[in-house]
Amino acid sequence: MVRILHIWLYKDPAPKFIDAETQKLLKSITRLQLDKIFRNRPNPINTVEYKFMTTEEIENEVKKAFTKARELLQMPPIVQVEQANCQVISKDPGLDSYSNCKYVITDITYGVNDSERTIVVRQTDGTLETADPKLRKRINQIYFPLQNRHIRDPRMFEEENLRGCLDRHEYEFVLDRMCIQFEPFEQKFHEISSKVYLHINETKEFDILRSTRHFGPMSFFLAWHKMIDDLVIDMIKRDYLTNAVEVICLMYNLNGIEYDKGILKQLEQFTSSFESREENGFAIAKKGLEKELNETVGKSIEQFKIDEASLEFIDAFCKSHAIKKIQLTLCLQMYKEGNEEKKRLLEGLRKAHGVS
Amino acid sequence: MANFAKLSRISVPSRNPKIPVSPYAPINLPPASGIGKYWRLSAKAIRLARHGCTNRPFYHVVVMERRKNQHQPVIEQVGTYDPMPNEHDEKLLSFNFERIRFWIGKGAHISQPVAELLGISGFYPIHPRTYMNAWRNRQKAAEVETKVTE
Repeated sequence: MVRILHIWLYKDPAPKFIDAETQKLLKSITRLQLDKIFRNRPNPINTVEYKFMTTEEIENEVKKAFTKARELLQMPPIVQVEQANCQVISKDPGLDSYSNCKYVITDITYGVNDSERTIVVRQTDGTLETADPKLRKRINQIYFPLQNRHIRDPRMFEEENLRGCLDRHEYEFVLDRMCIQFEPFEQKFHEISSKVYLHINETKEFDILRSTRHFGPMSFFLAWHKMIDDLVIDMIKRDYLTNAVEVICLMYNLNGIEYDKGILKQLEQFTSSFESREENGFAIAKKGLEKELNETVGKSIEQFKIDEASLEFIDAFCKSHAIKKIQLTLCLQMYKEGNEEKKRLLEGLRKAHGVS
Repeated sequence: MANFAKLSRISVPSRNPKIPVSPYAPINLPPASGIGKYWRLSAKAIRLARHGCTNRPFYHVVVMERRKNQHQPVIEQVGTYDPMPNEHDEKLLSFNFERIRFWIGKGAHISQPVAELLGISGFYPIHPRTYMNAWRNRQKAAEVETKVTE
């Protein structure tokens, strides 16, 4: 734990996180699932509206839902912890003990950003200096409150209470509230988030965060610290092979390990076709027998090809950089056997129906 | 009179049910932009107006006509001052410096307590009264110390 926090403090992860390639990988890993994003939440306004629509209108609505879902999946950034930077503006020995407590002076001019607002402190010995980040945050919250952020940190984030929350697997709730209460450049933000990610990695409950805005940062964290083995195993078990490949690529990218980048291009072609298929969900019904066969098996011939390529890539990872080698090889073997069976079934069905 | 009606309409806060109202929002206070009537050439002052309640002072820094009582409608509110130290032992002070500059440019007078506070905030030179208080406090502390040593 201590080692991990040290890395966040001294090496800035922001440039790697903001990098376009990393963002693309993270977005792909997150997996956009509409029913999870727009699930019923425990809030007061939770109404469902039923309407009669033509097919075209429904397709438009689905498109709209996808754009909104992408907005909701925007990831909170991972940046370095900000260091306190207090400057002394003036020192006046004649003012020493002019008052028995200090004055905090805020410029409440309209239309100024929270981070740019001038907040200064006149100490009891007469020095005038700029406020430190902790004080700034408190004062900003007093004069310009953000909704749902509290002046004192919620007790939920205390060591014991947080442990209780994590044991109940309320990861998303903790992370959402953390994003409201703390800024990404605060020490507390990193402490709590890394605790949550480590707990998830221990209990292997990755699926709770999948298709939420926290899945990307979590995989970034795990990849940064080279702890992706459990995540990869989970992805293989759930048949998200392409994502497993992407996580491995991300780990290679972040730690400067050389690898063959051709695999990503191959996957890209596949995912683009996959996405377009998802977006025109109603077009599927129009297609003929071949689709039906694929659906009964759950996979098409192209998917099997892609699976083979990604399995090869994961095998290479398993041999060179994996930490939990035995578990990973076992999992891979299980997957290969299952896949082989499915492939045989598909071939048999195609033959029976006379599709070449 | 027509002008006054227009201004008083501003004071009615719009109750949009979609925007949640803070439970701490003042109920019977006019907006900070002020609803006070004033003459162009009358003398204006930036001064403190006491709010809060018994044994709990809280001040607004306001611009209003010099001759008016502090509890009458103000021209504009340009800051707040909480003279009671909070749990972190701080006195909170806020100014809208942009508007204060504007009113000083318009020739507004500044009352002594506000001038002292502006001096402490580093906007004005330190007020002589502040130096005097500091000197007296130091002297008192020194006296107490000598008594203790004796």
